[in-house]
Amino acid sequence: MTALAALTERVVLAAVRDDLPFAILSPAVSFAVFNLMLSNVIDTGGMSYPQYILPVVVVQMLLLGGLTTVDRAARDELSDFADRLRTLPISTVTPLMARMLYCLFRNALGLLAAIVVGYAFGFRMFGGFVYAAAFAVLVLTLTLALSLAADAAGVLSAASKNGIARGGGLSQLLLVPQLLLVMLSTGLAPAESFPDWLHPFVRYQPVSQVTETLRGFASGHLVVSDLATSLAWCLVLLMVFGLIALRIKRRPQ
Amino acid sequence: MFVIELNGVAKTFDGAIHALQDVSFSVPTGSVCALLGHNGAGKTTTIKVLSTLLKPTSGHAIVAGYDVVREPAKVRASIGSIGQITALDWELTGRENLVLFGRLRGMRRKHARLQADALIHQFDMSHAANRRVNTYSGGMLRRIDIAAGLMVRPKVLFLDEPTTGLDPRSRRDVWGLVSSLSAQGVTILLTTQYLEEADLLSDSIVVMNEGRVIASGTAEDLKRHVGLGYCTVSPVNPADLSKIFAVVADLKGAEADYEANTVSVLAPDGVATLGEVFRRVDRLGVELADITLRRPSLDEAFLHLMDSVTT
Repeated sequence: MTALAALTERVVLAAVRDDLPFAILSPAVSFAVFNLMLSNVIDTGGMSYPQYILPVVVVQMLLLGGLTTVDRAARDELSDFADRLRTLPISTVTPLMARMLYCLFRNALGLLAAIVVGYAFGFRMFGGFVYAAAFAVLVLTLTLALSLAADAAGVLSAASKNGIARGGGLSQLLLVPQLLLVMLSTGLAPAESFPDWLHPFVRYQPVSQVTETLRGFASGHLVVSDLATSLAWCLVLLMVFGLIALRIKRRPQ
Repeated sequence: MFVIELNGVAKTFDGAIHALQDVSFSVPTGSVCALLGHNGAGKTTTIKVLSTLLKPTSGHAIVAGYDVVREPAKVRASIGSIGQITALDWELTGRENLVLFGRLRGMRRKHARLQADALIHQFDMSHAANRRVNTYSGGMLRRIDIAAGLMVRPKVLFLDEPTTGLDPRSRRDVWGLVSSLSAQGVTILLTTQYLEEADLLSDSIVVMNEGRVIASGTAEDLKRHVGLGYCTVSPVNPADLSKIFAVVADLKGAEADYEANTVSVLAPDGVATLGEVFRRVDRLGVELADITLRRPSLDEAFLHLMDSVTT
């Protein structure tokens, strides 16, 4: 336990001096910017734009956070520090668990900042405490699932022989699909504003599903099919990458 | 009683690169052993096997009474391992790194802080302890790196080329540290390319070449292994050098060095050889500046061992 606490503290301390302040503030800032730019442009039916858009800002935070997790895991894995950890009497999963705890910590703070700023713009948790809690739990579960996936990708890229991936280029490569997923989702605008042939994709891709679920929680109602899909995504990511992450923890060659 | 024992350890990478072959040696409790060899001799691989970073392909290695393959966790609890390259968290300060490594070894935070402060003082790092380590010089990094390995006093300490890249002063600091740790009963296995260092610090030396142990023993043993000293004669007048060479040319290993103005022969019988050389030269009536009997330096012993292996 001491080892886990010490390693988590280490990641947090290092991140505070590095990207943590930006990571926490960026969802709040992008929420504000989206609102100022798009609130009068996009028709969201009966829902106010701050209410409509906050969920996707949170989802984007999860995805962008995942990218820094890829980098951090790769950097950690390649460092001589990691080699030294392997000569210490601690479990080989402890560094991974420490990184996961850090991701939860970072996203919890980011979520909090986004909601505080959201309230200033008129976003409300209409459903009361239980729905708000469900909102937070789903965000943190997704954080864990995505972070495990990102961590596994980072560790694998560190072990790969590909120079670009090793040099931290993987997170750059992943930036494009995650941008597309956010842009081509119902997070920023309803499906009707996309061309017809894109509708199926826009409606059923994971970012849209998760966003709809979160939007439902914030409004105080629950769309069971959306939640089921979101949870299914979580479960699949958690199982697949949890297993991968555990398997690839580096053992002595 | 041996605290490190290797028995026929081999390590093969990718089925083709034989990094270690049949490496066997042992280190008595509380002593300092130096692994001596050129780059690629297998020194670091040996350290990595002993600190459970690499699994040996075959053979057995025992550290502090535990098998490195079967009981790696117990080995890790008994060792401190300091690699060639600084293994600290660059984003943290020197003090934070020390506290971190103490807590990773199970110390309570308060205790770790006290111990960190004590080491910072002992290592003369008070002026920089609260700066991030990425601002440190090579010598400072090395000191904090080693201090991090000493937060909990290990039974066995591995130091992989602890003085490589250090300036002379920091190098002496590390030497002093090794001696004082050894005096406190820590068994130390260090690797080095410097004979001087091996000679100065260690109780025993293991010479490695191309993944094999080619000699082991004390520095004296190794010098004796080469066998012999040299008897060196130097005339007052360099013009006499060839005359001297002519009368001793039939002796083993006779060599004239015109630049150094010396003739030397191997002295298998020590003083007797010196006497023989002196009588022969004396008959020439040449005036001598110097005649000496010299034990081989460890350098010569090392080169001799290398030669005997490669030829």
